[in-house]
Amino acid sequence: MTQEIPIWRIKYYPKNLDQVCGRSFVKETLKHIISQKNFPHLLFIGSKGIGKTTIAKLFSKSFLGKDYGANFKLVYANVPLSEEERKQAKRESYVSKSKIGSIAGKTITTPAFIQAKVKPFIQLKVLGDTPFKILVVKNFESLGGNQQGFRRLMEIYGSNCRMILITTKISSIIDPIISRCQLILISQVKFEDFKELIMDIAEKESLEISDSVIDFLFKVSEGKISKALDILQLSSISGKKIELDKLYEDTQKFQNTQLKSLLLISLKGNFPKAREIARKIISSYKYNAQEVFLLLLDEVNKLPLSRFTRSTLINLIADSDFRAVGGRDNDIQISALLSKICRFSEYL
Amino acid sequence: MRKENLSKKNIEIPWVEKYRPKSINEMALPTARLSGQKVKLNEELINFIKNFFLERKRVNQENSIIRNFNRTVIEKEQKKEIKISTDKAAVLLEGQPGIGKTSIVYALANDFNMEVIETNASDTRTRDKLEKKLKETTKSRGIMDFVTKTKEKLILIDEIDGIYGVKDRGAVPTVIDLIQNTQFPIIMCSNNYKSNLQTLYKKIKRFEVHPLPKREILKIAKKILKNEKITNLDDEALDLIIDKNNGDLRGVINDLQGICQGVIEGDVKELILKLRRDSTEEIFTLVKDLFYVSSLREARTLTDKSDVDYNFLYKWINENLLTFIKSNRDLVDAFDNLSLADEILGRIRTNQYWSLLPYFFDLFAGGVVLSRKDTPLSKGFKRIVFPRYSSGGFFSLTNTEKEFAEKIQKTYEISQVDFIQDFLPFLKILSSTSRKQLKNISDWLDLDAKEKKLLK
Repeated sequence: MTQEIPIWRIKYYPKNLDQVCGRSFVKETLKHIISQKNFPHLLFIGSKGIGKTTIAKLFSKSFLGKDYGANFKLVYANVPLSEEERKQAKRESYVSKSKIGSIAGKTITTPAFIQAKVKPFIQLKVLGDTPFKILVVKNFESLGGNQQGFRRLMEIYGSNCRMILITTKISSIIDPIISRCQLILISQVKFEDFKELIMDIAEKESLEISDSVIDFLFKVSEGKISKALDILQLSSISGKKIELDKLYEDTQKFQNTQLKSLLLISLKGNFPKAREIARKIISSYKYNAQEVFLLLLDEVNKLPLSRFTRSTLINLIADSDFRAVGGRDNDIQISALLSKICRFSEYL
Repeated sequence: MRKENLSKKNIEIPWVEKYRPKSINEMALPTARLSGQKVKLNEELINFIKNFFLERKRVNQENSIIRNFNRTVIEKEQKKEIKISTDKAAVLLEGQPGIGKTSIVYALANDFNMEVIETNASDTRTRDKLEKKLKETTKSRGIMDFVTKTKEKLILIDEIDGIYGVKDRGAVPTVIDLIQNTQFPIIMCSNNYKSNLQTLYKKIKRFEVHPLPKREILKIAKKILKNEKITNLDDEALDLIIDKNNGDLRGVINDLQGICQGVIEGDVKELILKLRRDSTEEIFTLVKDLFYVSSLREARTLTDKSDVDYNFLYKWINENLLTFIKSNRDLVDAFDNLSLADEILGRIRTNQYWSLLPYFFDLFAGGVVLSRKDTPLSKGFKRIVFPRYSSGGFFSLTNTEKEFAEKIQKTYEISQVDFIQDFLPFLKILSSTSRKQLKNISDWLDLDAKEKKLLK
């Protein structure tokens, strides 16, 4: 591609394991594995957006070498299957009757997920002269109770295909899976490493950047490099010298103000307007009801509210979420919560 | 007083049953087509029944010869028993509701002095049950049959388009199997053409039954009115009823009963409009009517009476709730009931708890509309809108969003979920800063006009 990539987070995406920012201990471990040419199933644990998938991908790339293209697959456990995939899987497997409690359980029936995405890959023989294939499963915890399906797969096809499971919540991974994997904790980037990376990029983009700005960026991005780069790029548009004030302003843009206004409007008791906003949010972000409830809960904790209001709101949200677990229609469940908040606002 | 009323109502059988024709020759026959050719339905069906029994006799005789032959030879040389060909064993009547498909079958059975074994979509949901109910009757003929001459049987599979679905997997092969092995004639009824049933269609005769012409319906309606000694319904109103029902004779008769037994005085025309069953506008009227009822029982009757799929109906109610219910206090109750109904439906679907279905009906219809307590409905035109916002709970991107995501995914590994919730908002902010940025991004990703719109 002749044109320069206009999005920094893609432009400065690491090309190999060495380029990954910080985390030297993890890198060392993985390099050791590469030199050994063998590893058990791995389980990557770390908070959201800090580069678990990037590391897993780059690790697989250098492990598999030139056979990377044919022997590597990345699947997302939290992305529901498409219509065709679901139909295909339905034809091939029976519909699961397991009672699923997690968010994703509502949208995915795992036999279908395994049938459609996992099995076709792991059943095929290895191509090239690598010892085995690598399958990366992202957001493994969102499979909920259906992780059970992986137990036998990991044993039967283990010699043919090694899995790297990626999760943010170790507590929701079932024990049998944990016992089959080597755990690798991926920590956040340390400030020194972060600073080094930002300085490097600043030099390449000829930016003027001060220590306090980097400090602020580190705090705001919560260790997510992609987010930090997004903010930095946005600030750089107005000038090569990054000001703290400007940066702060730009950070505000990233915060999802729609949810805040949704909460405020329902606290004013205007139900029709609140419902409209909720629908707009859902259609642009494709949240399901439970994700909206969790985000609203976040907002409730951020807003300056009285102790009574706060506890009542949390109670209402929890109640609605509990119902939405079994429900089918997002809109109805969200409307139910909004109407409750609107009614509650009349007592304030 | 009240007791009297109730007991009086119980005695009265529905007019639809009361005036159901006893013989196929005395009923007003709808026109029918067999693969495009106009045919006389009564002759065809009578011939079908007669031929079936002749054929059965022939087949059974031949089979007994084969069986006797088989006893004398070794297994290899045994002949196979023959079967009645499927097009002689079953027919399918296809047509819109209420034009008399079921009535024809019952009248036919009455003419031939046969017993009708009916199964419809409501009571046979799974393959097992279907087999249990039908196979026994089709295969065996009962021990007593040899001793006493019992009635012959006629099998009626009503609403065959309704028994097919994900839940009824295997029902269609069962039905085909049944037709191939039956000892009794089978008549099936269905409302419309279903591609799922194609394998079935190939094997049998399919009659398309068309609605009765208006003058026939009028004749029947007048006869009923005369019989019931009703005089307060003028011709214009009768016309209106027939028009509204659009060829649905059952609907006409039900409406007539509703009007004649419901009121003696009052504006008949208004009542007719309320009772209308016009299929295209049915859901609009139903939703509107629901919000005007004042008791749970009325709401129940309305939902019971309608053919509208409840999976949609409760979404319609969700969409139109705000038009009728305004105060926050009532809204809370309404949505509380509606969301509980939704949860119940979800549990029914995932765990097959079909016994919960009655609660679902009461909650989404009665529970919701009765949440409007003291506040009277404001006068004026109420617009019923289509549930434009459908949320099935499945995460799905629009085609444009999908293409956009694919373009990004070529260079940058990102899931669809992260793309829509995290990356796209950033691109929006970035491209909103200046035109140059927008151009850069769209050039780099080679976006078309539709995708550019997403960035705005």
